[in-house]
Amino acid sequence: MFHKVLIILSSALTVASAIGVLVTKDIVRACIFLFFSLFGVAGIYASLGADFVAVTQIMVYVGGVVILMLFAVMLTGGPGKESAGSKGYLLIPMMGNKITFGFGIFSGLVLLLTMAKITKSVIASVTISEVEGFASTVERIGSLLVSEHVLAFEISSILLLGALVGAAMIARPRKNV
Amino acid sequence: MDYTIGTVAPILLFPLAAFVINAFIGRKLPRQGDWVSIIGILLSFGWSARIFNDFVFGHYSSDYYVHKVFTWIDLSYGDFPFQIDLGIYIDNMTAMMLLMVSGVAALIHIFSSFYMKGDPRYGRFFTYLSLFTTGMLGLVLSENLLSVFIFWELMGFCSYSLIGFYYEKEEAGNASMKAFMTTRVGDVCFLLAILGIWSVVGSVSFVDIYNHLASGAFEGQVAILGIPLASFCAFMIFAGTIGKSAQFPLQVWLPDAMMGPTPCSALIHAATMVAAGVYLSLRMYPLMEAGHLTTFIAYIGAITAFGAATIALIQTDIKAVLAYSTISQLGYMVLGIGVGSYNAAFMHLITHAVFKACLFLSAGSVIHSLHDHHTHGHVQEMPRMGGLRKKMPYTFLAMACCTLAISGVPFFSGFVSKDRILGDALYWGITGHHAHWYQAIPPILGFAAAFLTAFYMCRMMFLTFFGEPRDKELYEHCHKEKLSLNRNIPLLLLAVFTLGVWYSGSLTGQGKVKVAGDRYEWFSTLIEKPNTSNFREYTKEPFGLKDTRGTVHFEKSHYDPSHGLSEEEAHHVHTAHNIGAGLSILVAFLGIFIAFLMYIRKSMDPGFWVRTFHRWNKALKEKYYFDHLYIDVLIQKVLLTVNRLLAAFDMGVYDRFAIDGMASVNRWLYKAANFFDNFIVDNSVDLTGVSVKFLNVASRTVQSGKVQFYFMVLILAVSFYILKISF
Amino acid sequence: MFGLAWYLGIGFVLFCTGITVMIARKSIVAILIGIELILNGAAINFVAYSKFVTQDLDGHIFPLFIIIVAAAEAAVGLAIVIRFYQIRETIHIDEATQLQS
Repeated sequence: MFHKVLIILSSALTVASAIGVLVTKDIVRACIFLFFSLFGVAGIYASLGADFVAVTQIMVYVGGVVILMLFAVMLTGGPGKESAGSKGYLLIPMMGNKITFGFGIFSGLVLLLTMAKITKSVIASVTISEVEGFASTVERIGSLLVSEHVLAFEISSILLLGALVGAAMIARPRKNV
Repeated sequence: MDYTIGTVAPILLFPLAAFVINAFIGRKLPRQGDWVSIIGILLSFGWSARIFNDFVFGHYSSDYYVHKVFTWIDLSYGDFPFQIDLGIYIDNMTAMMLLMVSGVAALIHIFSSFYMKGDPRYGRFFTYLSLFTTGMLGLVLSENLLSVFIFWELMGFCSYSLIGFYYEKEEAGNASMKAFMTTRVGDVCFLLAILGIWSVVGSVSFVDIYNHLASGAFEGQVAILGIPLASFCAFMIFAGTIGKSAQFPLQVWLPDAMMGPTPCSALIHAATMVAAGVYLSLRMYPLMEAGHLTTFIAYIGAITAFGAATIALIQTDIKAVLAYSTISQLGYMVLGIGVGSYNAAFMHLITHAVFKACLFLSAGSVIHSLHDHHTHGHVQEMPRMGGLRKKMPYTFLAMACCTLAISGVPFFSGFVSKDRILGDALYWGITGHHAHWYQAIPPILGFAAAFLTAFYMCRMMFLTFFGEPRDKELYEHCHKEKLSLNRNIPLLLLAVFTLGVWYSGSLTGQGKVKVAGDRYEWFSTLIEKPNTSNFREYTKEPFGLKDTRGTVHFEKSHYDPSHGLSEEEAHHVHTAHNIGAGLSILVAFLGIFIAFLMYIRKSMDPGFWVRTFHRWNKALKEKYYFDHLYIDVLIQKVLLTVNRLLAAFDMGVYDRFAIDGMASVNRWLYKAANFFDNFIVDNSVDLTGVSVKFLNVASRTVQSGKVQFYFMVLILAVSFYILKISF
Repeated sequence: MFGLAWYLGIGFVLFCTGITVMIARKSIVAILIGIELILNGAAINFVAYSKFVTQDLDGHIFPLFIIIVAAAEAAVGLAIVIRFYQIRETIHIDEATQLQS
């Protein structure tokens, strides 16, 4: 029961917040919606038995990336608004124009079709097993990270270092501008 | 002893590491990093000494060698093997060369810290010295011709940098260019030889070459125009030697090489650069024999020895005398190779390296102490020296030993080695059974050169150290020499090793006086011509961290006074050698005596000889017109004429007919096109304008620079692609 | 009911939303937000497949790396946004047309 409630709640939160990101006029609100959406994704992870991934999602994404974005919004002149139209798709704020909107919808449809085609056989063959409680995955993930995926693990550390240095380099104010 | 990466590679890596350290952070180190180079070469000397110890005191066998390889490049495909190995080939010759090169280079390094002191590019000099020594040590250790070539070129570069070290002076820059270009002629030939050998052997390893020579793979192979391949390869390798060891006719670069600082001259003339050429010829001696090239080699060596000695007679620059004596002595080595005196040629290489290094360092010591207060430069001209014996007793002592050695006075090293070469040449050319009439000239030239050598070396000594000071002011300003670690100790150490007893237990060099028991002729015992049939069955050993060889026990070699010949032949050989020894002692003392008469007793007037042979004198001053030949005739006349001819062809034929002809055709076409233009094209131009405008709008929209548009196109493209493969 | 299809559906919704945000919004920060949504949609798929199909933990590793890459990308991206703001005093994407020439 708890499991089903978790799934429904987090799914609803995720989807609703994602659509909120899409339609809100205010960039700060978009960030807040993103916050909730990512939180919902963490719940979905938890419902799939991936407790470690869920916790990481909350810590890194919700605690780090979204806060970073809020800072960026504030550093770049605060919440900016763009005028929205009065009806139809124009209600959705900050849309480019009809063409972009049409393309977006079209692309989504194509993707839906494609995904349905590809995943149909997989879904048909899946045997839905009972959830075997919440056995901790931390230990196994840890050993996987340093055995099978150790190369990617090490490379990601270099990537993070590079991103750190690069971000500092790029954002540093220069006198000659 | 194990021959692994840990025991062999450090010889090469210590100087290399010193080079790298000095090249990058040398300026920030105290004393500009000279101690890094010195420690590097001293450590290298230590490791070399271990190998020398193992070979000479451990195994003591002329057949013993170590050959280890690892794969460098492997591009084999199917049945086409293409594999290049790198590795080490160490035999007695290599062991001795290693000890000589690292030892002499170490002393030169130490002396440089005295000589170059206060130079604005002090640190850079040591950087080059380290790289230079690395090149020579690597060349000596190499097991194949390709890596020899690599280190050979490395040394070429270093000599270029060192000769042009004072690049502010125009002559220095020209001299370095000349040295580089002249040796390049030989290098190209060497590369051709490598290719030729590869075509037969499929490898350039020394051992593989010996193996194929023994199995007769070179027989019947023809290079071009009916020239046997063995002769072709042998000649090309010898051409490399001619370039590197400054033999006739490519000797022109070596005298100019003294433009560099004196320690680097010592390094080039003694231990490293010029020795490399002779070393290569010795290594490839079986090929030279198979190519029937020995007579040619003997002639080249004799001509070089004699010609350079004559030029040295009239030089007034102390370093120029030494430079020409180097060429002359290298000629002796090549003569030794040509007459089959393998052992003595190599011994002369070692002894010459020691005494020539000492001579150059002594000359450096003299030059350094003579400072002209008017021009603020060092003085190298002998006419301004004289009487320096009292000011510089230690330098005098060292230089006197070396002069006696190079002149061929008994009990000194030069006598031991040069006398053997001359004895062998005498046997080969005149008294031997197989001597043809045309073989008589090299030995005669050799003895004549020995006489001249004794004369001009003593002339240099007498002009520099004896008599009255000819330039009083210079003499007064010269400080009295004090015994110092980095000035005199290297000289005196080298001078000690000019004694013949180190190289041959018999003091006369004839195997007659035995002083060290069974091993009194260790040099002759250990160095033998490579017996190619010994290499018929061998397996390559991997060069790694562990020694995989089983313990090899060789029978200890013994000295054979009859050189493995029959009783009668040996008698002939000994007779020739006794005559040769007597003759060479005679000419040496004659030369010294005449120099004594001319420059000390003054009872003979040098001016008389100059006046009598004034045309010869002029030729000698112009160095037999070789510079004239190369620069004024070969380059200015021949190459420039060809150049002009090509230019004339360009202007006269190509320009007039091709270009101008094209122009007239074009003019005609232009008229036709003009008509076409006016009536047809003009009307379509408007259409073109419209279409361009249309395309412009289209492409401007696509190239909007808006990221979102690009992203949209991307998504669409990917979507259609997936759609295509999914349905 | 809550099988694989459910999770794939949620991932799909996130993905499409992200793409629409990326195409339609005119603020650079909003575009970055869209990227985050796309990444999360993909990550959900990984975990769902690992739960229902492969039954092992390899699928849990990928979301971790996705999170790492997203963090790095957000750091660099936002640095670029700030730099862009310093130069142009706006974060409107249509101002960034240097690619044109």
